[in-house]
Order: sequence, then C-alpha cells, then structure tokens
Amino acid sequence: MKFLIIAKKEIIDITRDKRTLIMMVAVPLLLMPVLIGTMMKITSSQAEKASERQLKVTFFGQEHAPDLYKAFSNIDKLIILDQISIDSVQSYIQSEYLDAAIQIDANYQSNIENNGQAQIQVQYKGTDSFGTAKDRINTVLGQFEKNIIITRMDRLKLKPDVVKAFDIQFNDVASKQEKFGKLAGGWLPYVFILFGFMGAMYPALDLGSGEKERGTLETILSSPASRLDIVVGKFLVIMSAAFLTALLALGGILFGIQQISEIPPALLDLINDMFTLKTIGLIMTLVLPVSAFFSAVLLGLSIYARSFKEAQSIVAPLNIVIIFPAVIGTLPGIELNMVTAMIPILNVSLASKDIISGVINPLYMTEVYISLFGFAALSILWCVKAFNKETTIFRN
Amino acid sequence: MINVQNLIKDFTLSKKQRKEMGDDYKNTKILRAVDGITFDCKPGRIFGLLGPNGAGKTTALRMIATMLKPTSGSISVCGFDSVTNGQDVRSKIGFMTGQTALYDRLTPTEMVKYIADLHGMDKTTFAKRKDYLFNILDMNSFADRRIARLSTGMKQKTSIARTIIHNPQVMVFDEPTSGLDVMTSRAIVNLIHSCRDEGKTVIFSTHRMGEVNQVCDDIAIIYKGRLFFNDTLDQFKSEMTQSTFEEEFIYRVGEA
Repeated sequence: MKFLIIAKKEIIDITRDKRTLIMMVAVPLLLMPVLIGTMMKITSSQAEKASERQLKVTFFGQEHAPDLYKAFSNIDKLIILDQISIDSVQSYIQSEYLDAAIQIDANYQSNIENNGQAQIQVQYKGTDSFGTAKDRINTVLGQFEKNIIITRMDRLKLKPDVVKAFDIQFNDVASKQEKFGKLAGGWLPYVFILFGFMGAMYPALDLGSGEKERGTLETILSSPASRLDIVVGKFLVIMSAAFLTALLALGGILFGIQQISEIPPALLDLINDMFTLKTIGLIMTLVLPVSAFFSAVLLGLSIYARSFKEAQSIVAPLNIVIIFPAVIGTLPGIELNMVTAMIPILNVSLASKDIISGVINPLYMTEVYISLFGFAALSILWCVKAFNKETTIFRN
Repeated sequence: MINVQNLIKDFTLSKKQRKEMGDDYKNTKILRAVDGITFDCKPGRIFGLLGPNGAGKTTALRMIATMLKPTSGSISVCGFDSVTNGQDVRSKIGFMTGQTALYDRLTPTEMVKYIADLHGMDKTTFAKRKDYLFNILDMNSFADRRIARLSTGMKQKTSIARTIIHNPQVMVFDEPTSGLDVMTSRAIVNLIHSCRDEGKTVIFSTHRMGEVNQVCDDIAIIYKGRLFFNDTLDQFKSEMTQSTFEEEFIYRVGEA
C-alpha cells in the first residue's frame, strides 16, 4: 500500500503548486465561462450592430421600375444614394462606402407585363460581416416578386397550385435534443479532452522529470517503495488531476451557458434537460479511461526526459496529436462506427456527441470502452516498463 | 555490513553516446562502468570509495542501494541480497547525495514523515525519532516552514534528517559534500562520524583526497571501474611513496 503514501504526498505537493492549480481549477472553472460569455456577447452585439446599420444602396435604371424603387425607398435603415457614377460603383463597394448597387434592365417593365423574367443585377461585397446587404436586399426583392406572381396568377385566373405541384411536408423525427447534440455536441468533448490533457500535463512533468531535476528520484528509489508503488502512486494523482480538470471544464461550460442572457429560454431549457446527472456521469465514464491514457503516456515521457525543460519540449507537440482527433470528431458526417469506435480520443469525442444527443448504440459504446480501457492498460504497462528501465530512469 | 563480490556493471551505449565518447568506444556497444570489484564495509567503520569523476563510484553505490541491477556479481547488505531482496536492502539503508534532494513545497516535518511512512515507521516511533533529530539538528524553528523558503544550511539539516529518520543500519553517501560550502560540508562530515559512532556501516564516495584522510577508516581506490587499493587508511598511508594523497593517487592510477 506504499503507493497510497506516495499518492498522498504527491497530492499535497501538486495542490501547493500555483501553476498546476491555475491550469487545473482556475482556467477551466473561471476562464471557460468568461470566454463563452465574452464570445457570445461580442457575436450578438456585432450581429445587432450589423442589423441596425444603415444600408447604403444605389440604383441604376430606377426609371424602368419605379414601384420597385419605391419599395426600397420605404425600407427602414436603408438609404438610397443617387448621383453615383456607374464607373465608381465597384471601387465604392470595395471600400465599403457603398453596400450594394441595384441595376434594373431597360426591358424590366415589358418583361414583367408579358409574364417574362426581368433582369436585376445586384453588386455587393461578399465579405460583408453577417451577409447583411445581400440578405436584406434579397428579402425586399423576394417579397416584391411574390406580389408580382400573385398578380399574374389572378390575371391568368390560375391557382397558385399550377406552379407548385407538390405540397411537401417534411416531418423531422429527430428530437430537438438529438439535433442540438449533433450540432454542438462535438465541441463539448473537444473542450474537455483538451482540458483533461492540460490538467495532466503539469503534474506529470513535475512528478516525473521534476523528481530528476530536484535529485529526489534517488531518495524514493532507495526507499522500500517498489517501482510499481512509485508509478501507481504518481499515476493515480496525475489521472485524478486530468479527470478533475475535465470535469471542471465541463462544469465551467455549463455554468457559463447559464450566465449568457442572449440564449433563448427555450434553448436554455433544452440544454438543461440534456445535461442531466446521467448524461454527465456517462460522459465522465469516457473521460476516466482517456485520462488514464493521457496520464500514463505523459508520466512515461516525463520520466524519460532528463529535465523539466526537456520534458516540456517532448510533451508540447502532443497537444497537436490530441487536438487532431478531437477536431475530427466535431466535423459533420463523422459518426461512431466499428472503426471510429476503436480510435482513442476520436471515439471519446464521437461517443460524447451521441450521449449528448441521447442516441446511444450499445455495440459501439461497448467497443469504445474496450478500446479506451485497452489503450489505458497498455499505456500504464508502458509507463511501468519505462520506470523499470535503468537507461530511462538514469538517462543522461 | 556490506559485502560486494566480483561486481560488474555494463551499460549498453547508443550510437549517439558512442559518437560522443570518441574513438575508444567506436567499435564497442558496451561500457563497463564497474569491472569486477570486491570489498567489505564493516559496521562501526567508514569505508571510503575514492576515485575521479566517471570512475564508477556512483554506479557502485546505486547498485548497493538497489537502484541499478548488477550485470554479474553479488551485493549483500545486512545479509540481504540486493537483487532478490531489494526491498529488505532498501529498508536497511539511508542514501544521501550532494544534492539536498528535497521537495520544495513540503515542510521539513512533512518531508521527514513521507520518508518515515515509506519505511513503515509507526506513529509513536516516528514522533520520538523526529523529536530527537529535530532537537539535535536544531530544526524546530523551521520545522513547519516550506522547504523552498529555507536557507541552504536549513535544507541540508532537513536532508540529513530525512536520510536517517528510519535509523538505518547502513549509510550510503554519494559525494555528499560536493559543491557544498565549508560549514555545510562540516555538518555532513560530523553526521558521517556520528553514524560510525552509533555502530552503523558507512560507505562514502568522494573524489577529494583530503576528505578521505579526514573521514575514512578503510579505503578503496576505484578508477575506470576497477579497484586499485582496498585496505585500511593506515595501511594506505604506510605504503605511500609520494608526499601527498593526490600525488599518491595519481601515481597508483598511473602505475595501473
């Protein structure tokens, strides 16, 4: 039971390390809500600004379509600028002095009257934030077109069904939870996988290469504790740190969401219904083995390094290795199947997405657990082997 | 009591290491760090393992402390074999190096308690032993202060306390004074003497010839993994053909 003595000492040690505490507790619990809140606030305020903004539009050939011109003149927050030469339009739109230019074809009126199509050209800048100009112009034109069609139908004494052969009703059987889960569920595991890794990183560096740097490695190696006791004691503490950081990150996100006033109450209710204790518990059963996997790999690499600095340079690139499968899991179309369920990290991401959506395939989930616990066991064995290898422990 | 018999330790060299070590190691994959050494360390005596850097001192001491496994040969500590009864061996020894080897975020009390717990000391024995050591080392004033905030002298005292908290029968000192100032070195030398006076078996490695004269009862000279002398200090002195320890050492190693 000497591993418990080692674990107890390591807990005291790392909980007194400010760096570890900041990374483990402060960042996920405080920074996440602040980040989410700030991002939402900036996005909604920018969107609001964009919709409140006066749109500056110029017309060419308005004499061919006076009604259409009038319709635009009556729109709120839209100014029509006259006396702009056609040659300057493109440069004005490029420089964002002008939002759009609408050009009416000379045959507009005759085409409309003869039930033909009138040509309208709209120039705009596609990089305009939130696509405001195009959307607002399209709405006005769409409404105007609808009125023209109704008039034509009346004139021809036709029912609108003539041009609309199908009355299609799409009935989506997916629940709101499932849809939201598939849409946003991928990002959540990405965040807690990353935090789990970061939460394990500092303790692993400190408990592995830190021992070498302080010279304390010889102290514990010459104690009656076996190498296995040392590895298990350290591993348990690192794994707990990773697990706790991931849990706090998840808690931080959920807490952050509650604080955002911009979220519609219906969506907030849906989120609260989705994140029951059962859902969180299930997600955490995935986080536990993946934390074990991270912790054993990081501890093994850390003990291999000659110094804390070397350990940092070995471990830092792993961030990319972790992020890559986690990001793939957020992509649409990537689903849990017999193959993806075996790939560590990616399977956590995809399985979490399914848990959040409430659609769990027991076969795939079993495969995910087998894969995760298998990889965790292999990484622990590797770590124990690294500790028993003289060339690793006394590498210089 | 330590008994070392025909001890050999080989290390496998990587390509990079062979390149770094020069032409001598170009065609060999093995570095023999300790080459068939044999010696005894007796209770109540200080055994000095003397040799320059890279001679094999640390490797030999690490094998005695079971941190490294011998390639061949045997080590017996208080009757326990270092390979088959590693845990028993470790429970009998206290290991100290030139580094203080302490955890900065613990207090001296916590540091010493940690080592005592690993040695399976019960609460009462620990409390008595801790009080005794903290009193004689005058550590009570900083016993509950974080080690990071202690002076070098205070750290050294803490290091001494953690090495002997379990009252080991065998003390292994691996260049314990290297890099230390005169005052701190003296504290270590005093500790070594008091360990001998308590009847402990003491093995002490150094590359400082003067220190051998000051500390040791028995000495062994090690160079390139081999022993060139293994007897009492008095015998060494009586056989000396050179005027100083340094010169005698260089002479003997050169002769070999």
